[in-house]
Amino acid sequence: MARILAVDDSPTILEMIKAILESGGHDVITAVDGAAALESARAESPDLILLDVMLPKLDGYRVCRLLKFDQNYKSIPIIMLTAKTEEQAMATGIRTGANQYLTKPVEPDTLLTAVATELDKAQG
Amino acid sequence: MTAPGFETLAKNLSAEEFERFRDWIHRHSGIWLEDSKSDSLRISLVTRATRFGLASYDDYYQMLTTDEVEFRELMNLVTINETSFYRFPAQFTALRDQIIPEILESKPKASHAFRAWSAGCSTGEEPYTIAMTLLDSGLEGLGYRPEVLGTDVSTAALDRARDAVYPRRAVENLEQNVVSRHFDRIQGGWRPTKRVLDMVDLSYHNLIKEPYPLALMANWDLIFCRNVTIYFRVESTRRVVHNFFESLNPGGYLFVGHSETLTNISEEFESVEVGGVFLYRKPRPQRLFAGSTLRSSAESRARVSSAAPSRSRPTVPAEEPVADPSPDTRPPAELLAAAHEALELGEPFEAIALAARVIEAEPENADAFLVAAFGHADTGDFEAAAAEANRALELDPLQATARFILGVIYLRKDERARAIEEFKRTIYIDRDFAVAHFNLGNIYRQQGDIDNALRSYDNALRALASAPDGDWKAFMGGFTPELLAQTCERGIAECKKGRTNG
Repeated sequence: MARILAVDDSPTILEMIKAILESGGHDVITAVDGAAALESARAESPDLILLDVMLPKLDGYRVCRLLKFDQNYKSIPIIMLTAKTEEQAMATGIRTGANQYLTKPVEPDTLLTAVATELDKAQG
Repeated sequence: MTAPGFETLAKNLSAEEFERFRDWIHRHSGIWLEDSKSDSLRISLVTRATRFGLASYDDYYQMLTTDEVEFRELMNLVTINETSFYRFPAQFTALRDQIIPEILESKPKASHAFRAWSAGCSTGEEPYTIAMTLLDSGLEGLGYRPEVLGTDVSTAALDRARDAVYPRRAVENLEQNVVSRHFDRIQGGWRPTKRVLDMVDLSYHNLIKEPYPLALMANWDLIFCRNVTIYFRVESTRRVVHNFFESLNPGGYLFVGHSETLTNISEEFESVEVGGVFLYRKPRPQRLFAGSTLRSSAESRARVSSAAPSRSRPTVPAEEPVADPSPDTRPPAELLAAAHEALELGEPFEAIALAARVIEAEPENADAFLVAAFGHADTGDFEAAAAEANRALELDPLQATARFILGVIYLRKDERARAIEEFKRTIYIDRDFAVAHFNLGNIYRQQGDIDNALRSYDNALRALASAPDGDWKAFMGGFTPELLAQTCERGIAECKKGRTNG
């Protein structure tokens, strides 16, 4: 079981993501904007971050970049969720150093598999 | 910011307060609100009073009774849900004297049915009035068989329409000869005559649920859907109106409310003026009535905007090609579409800028304010977002989407009581707004209010089933309704588990 920080600007969607992750046995903390996500990531040091791209205040790419360029947090795996087309997401996602990206809509199983994969990699 | 007295106002309207407002409204408009309208009146009062930050119904009563403009504003809200026999009588006069003869003139000889659909027929007054008008037009004598269908989403309203017993008040303002021709006096009130009742079929139909049953999708000579642009948000309205267009016979007419226009909604119809009444006609393949007294085209469209209290202002007549298609002269509808697109591409500032240009051209375009609200919310400026959503609601208080956005804004700010209020109002407008039920369920569960949480999750599941393609889908961020259903089920399970353990 891992502690996962889920970030999305819609409380509605956040609840759905939370339900998926909890059904996979994970503990979930949440944030609804980029600034809160950054704060929470630094304060709580979660095992993994699930990050929506479109966020108020600070978009997901910036949050990702800020964490990945910081020695203290760069090891936290980050999965980015995006509604954009795959190519665009891939290009920007890689530049910002995200470990994986998923294009919405995401199937619950796909999400849980991606989370499990990244957690395994981080431990190994 | 907006409403210091909001909580005080929202709770309830006492019987005395209701009677006070009801009597004033009756004295000054002739409209009588039954006791069952108390909650609906309360929502209208709250909507108006909130706008001025008034802390009590008494304060608002003072304002209402001393301000003619405010009285009219309130009545706009109050009458949206009202229905009556021969509502907007000029439309029925035009129908009887001009529209029906015009349609019959071009109807194929083989076709002996004359069919009218009352979409959103509520408690039956409209379809029965159409039937009475068809009878009065004398088309039966010409060998045509009149048929009227009334549809509504409210089964309670349909039951009352089937009962067809109306109080004296319903007929007392009608002309005596209309009452004697078309109504029977019965125990407990008045009922349309058997001839009228036999002509009318009533059935359930949800206008925003597609596809429509095949039986609805063809061969209508007339469709009545008054207040369609008031009930639904713009995208839904466009779809509904397009379905009407598809379903009408060429030369058939769409009747909308007397203050509505289809500008920005549909360019498929011809706008027609008949004796001061503005109607929409599906064009025939060739113009058969070059010498007709009916006038169509851009000229009358322009008249719609100046003569009728229209809800939006057309700037470019739809039929005229735009001479210069450069971006700066894009018509508002195109700018608005671009604003929507910018939102979806994650460019909120662009969306806000585009929405501002739409609003400049059309200060009453509620959808543009909604886009701006979304844009500001996406940038994290919730105060601005709430202000824009409130402006959209001032223009159109029955926008479930705007209510929902306000709810989400409050939820993000962790103001749960206000969020609950807005989600409840969302549902009041559109009871099938699944994500509003879902959010309520989540909030109640977090607050430990298990009964309400369970009820809300159940309602969300019911709404998902009954309106799987409602406006609420725009808020799913690409996730599937199935996931929402699963999450509701999970919420229900959690609630029950908590209850057992506790």
